[in-house]
Amino acid sequence: MKAATSMPAHPHLRLDRLKRHYAGAPAPAVASISLDLPRGALLALLGPSGCGKTTTLRMIAGLEIPDDGKILVGGRDVSRLPPHKRQMGVVFQSYALFPHMTAAGNAAFGLEMQGVARADRARRAQAALEMVGLGALAERKPRQLSGGQQQRVALARALAIEPQLLLLDEPLSALDAKLREGVRDEIRALQQRLGTTTVFVTHDQTEALAMADLVAVMNGGRIEQLAAPEEIFERPATRFVATFVGRAARLSGQLEPGGVLRCGGQALRSTATLPPGPAEAYLRPHRVRLLEAGAAPPPGHDNLLEARLTRRIYTGETIALETETAAGPVTAELQAGQDGPWRDLPTGAPLRLAFRAADLAVFPAP
Amino acid sequence: MIGWLLAAPALAVLALAFVWPMAGLFRISLNRTTETGAMEAAVTTDSYARLVGDDFTRELVLNTLTLAASSAAIAVALALPIALLVRGASPRWRGLLALAAVAPLLVSGTARLVGWMAILGDQGMINALLTGMGISTGPLALINNWTGVRIGLVESLMPYAVLVLLAGLGRLDPKLEEAAATLGANRARTFLRVTLPLAAPALLAAWLLTLVLGISAFITPRLMGGGRVFVLATEIYDLALETVDWPGAAALAMLLLGGLLALMILRGVVAAFFPGNRAEKTP
Repeated sequence: MKAATSMPAHPHLRLDRLKRHYAGAPAPAVASISLDLPRGALLALLGPSGCGKTTTLRMIAGLEIPDDGKILVGGRDVSRLPPHKRQMGVVFQSYALFPHMTAAGNAAFGLEMQGVARADRARRAQAALEMVGLGALAERKPRQLSGGQQQRVALARALAIEPQLLLLDEPLSALDAKLREGVRDEIRALQQRLGTTTVFVTHDQTEALAMADLVAVMNGGRIEQLAAPEEIFERPATRFVATFVGRAARLSGQLEPGGVLRCGGQALRSTATLPPGPAEAYLRPHRVRLLEAGAAPPPGHDNLLEARLTRRIYTGETIALETETAAGPVTAELQAGQDGPWRDLPTGAPLRLAFRAADLAVFPAP
Repeated sequence: MIGWLLAAPALAVLALAFVWPMAGLFRISLNRTTETGAMEAAVTTDSYARLVGDDFTRELVLNTLTLAASSAAIAVALALPIALLVRGASPRWRGLLALAAVAPLLVSGTARLVGWMAILGDQGMINALLTGMGISTGPLALINNWTGVRIGLVESLMPYAVLVLLAGLGRLDPKLEEAAATLGANRARTFLRVTLPLAAPALLAAWLLTLVLGISAFITPRLMGGGRVFVLATEIYDLALETVDWPGAAALAMLLLGGLLALMILRGVVAAFFPGNRAEKTP
């Protein structure tokens, strides 16, 4: 089950039933991947390690040749082209800067390979370094640069060749947490300014949701869902997406006609159109409205559960209230400062939880 | 402290089997050879003076250096593609290929040289093939001369060169070559602009090691040279056992030892001051 996405007539990148099975591996690294990416868009390949996201990126770069399927860039089939004929700007996880060249030498390398004249490529390499804010450090060797600066040089080097596609393989994973958000936003701003069509591999859902126009959630060499970040988060298409992206309470029960989920003696309304049978519903903590015991649900909130507070978790930005209900454990999340009425609530105190039918993502039980 | 203790047995063996005989050799080099050729206890630098002033010694040194330097260079040049092949192989094949590359070390040097004699001799495989195919009219002189010694030496030095290069190239991140490819460099340009410059320290280390081994080589010049090729090691042997000039042989051995020590020190200096462009360790 995949969310419908608009298919532009001429996608800049089209992957068509891409497949790669490493010799000796029990399962294919990439089973079958198809997607269209419009020009200028940023696609995040999101998934756990071993889901095939890096293999997919390497196939687009030409560092891995697919066993089957096609890669079209601007309508041209590049599936079998060697990497040096594809003009892809790749930023590796380890940056892979040439240690014997300066930052300027690194940034100019691709231009040199393209046969750009010396003076011209020096100017363009300098411009690329200035673009990432490293104009003053052009003569430094990679080992004289910090991790964050090396990362920028790698980005400048990839962008200097004015690539068909910018391919980023976990480019933030080697940076410390403090730097990561800033660099993430800079990459996104730069990508949008240049309009470079970009594919970004990450296992970090926040990164994927914050940066991407489109997110492909991958698992077991396939795409589970390809959609805009909001769609992925709010309307997960599969059980895997619901559990991998964000947190959710799982309510197991029996689905009855009309989308009613019988769950621990409760009848929960949902918008599910699945055939009746054993089912699981996922409920995001931020969708749960907390009410005082006995209070009436706000309009539109069809579901009401009696709950008891089991634990209160303070993380600074949010406060999570873990509760036990007849349907199972459910967590409600509040923004810091909005927990006034519940701040001094003792463990075991009664509460009411309200949520809409549409807040439940229902899937057949596995 | 514990390190010295653990190293003590090996140090004791070294002192007994190496340092002591070397000291003895040095003592002999200071002795005098009488008119009759007998050795007489003395403390004189006559033997050294005789050797240093001698044109033949100078020619020997030049011959030895030329042979060793060229053989080492050829061995390293031939070892580089092998090392690159081993490094690029899948983990399953890598061990097997590396073993195959250094397998010659498992065979006695003399046995290998006898094999070369059978291949390079006038009636050998190569000459039989060349004359049989009408490419050459008579047998090529591939043995009992400098060519033969060089062929044998290159072959015996190659495994060492492969080992040093494998250790050096192991630090070269294959992602660098991939990065060059994505930036538009074909295989040849990737090799010239990325692989080769980064392999330079390993190449130098391999050349210096095989140079030292080549200078001190004895069996190869002896067997492949057929008595017509003279290098320092063979001359020391001849002085000691043919001419029975023990002080002269000892003095030449000490000079060779000094030269090799200087080269080893140079190698250490190069390694210390030229750490090379080793791939940056990234977190």
